[in-house]
Amino acid sequence: MTSEELLTLQVTKTVDARGTACPGPLLEAKKAIGTIRPGDIMEVLSSDEGTIVDLPKWCAKQGHDYLGTLEVSGYFRIFMKKQ
Amino acid sequence: MANKKMCLGLFTGSVDKLTAAGVILGGAAAMDMQVDIYVLLQGARAFRKDIGDDPAKLQMAENPELKAEFLESLKNLKVKTWVEFFREAKEITDVKIHICGLAGKIWGGEKIEDFIGLADDIVGIGAYITAAQEADVNLFI
Repeated sequence: MTSEELLTLQVTKTVDARGTACPGPLLEAKKAIGTIRPGDIMEVLSSDEGTIVDLPKWCAKQGHDYLGTLEVSGYFRIFMKKQ
Repeated sequence: MANKKMCLGLFTGSVDKLTAAGVILGGAAAMDMQVDIYVLLQGARAFRKDIGDDPAKLQMAENPELKAEFLESLKNLKVKTWVEFFREAKEITDVKIHICGLAGKIWGGEKIEDFIGLADDIVGIGAYITAAQEADVNLFI
């Protein structure tokens, strides 16, 4: 998805994992995905560079749709849709 | 689809390698893997109730002079301790921790109650070999 499209997504759940190091953001995402329904959009906020590689791979393995990443001031917004 | 299996032979009793094992365990938990950990020799000492999460009682595997710097960095980065990593992984996925019977005895642990509460049972080497044969991923730390 383009940056513009990501900004228009209706996010159901935002996970703020900023300030945690690997594997913190991944584990926070894992815990949070269980609290939303299939089709819902989840956004993970992370200041850990490795997360932008980890979460797309995690989504692929777990069967969720990775939608894209936005880099904002000092952190990343990583979007996914639960399947 | 059945969950993938990981078998970890945990020989180390050093705080740096135990932390690495904890990080890897966190990744395995996020992937819903089924994990069996076989705690061997030095590892069993770290699992003793009177040692566990006390970094003063654990050494570094490499560069022992960097222990204070290592622990300070973990704290600053808000990284969990190795025991916290293991505990969190057990809460998320199917993680079983098996203490090698011989290793336990070497360090004065005869019963499961002698070890931190994360340990599930005391087993012989046959259980480790069987699990290793059946696992999709085998690690030895």
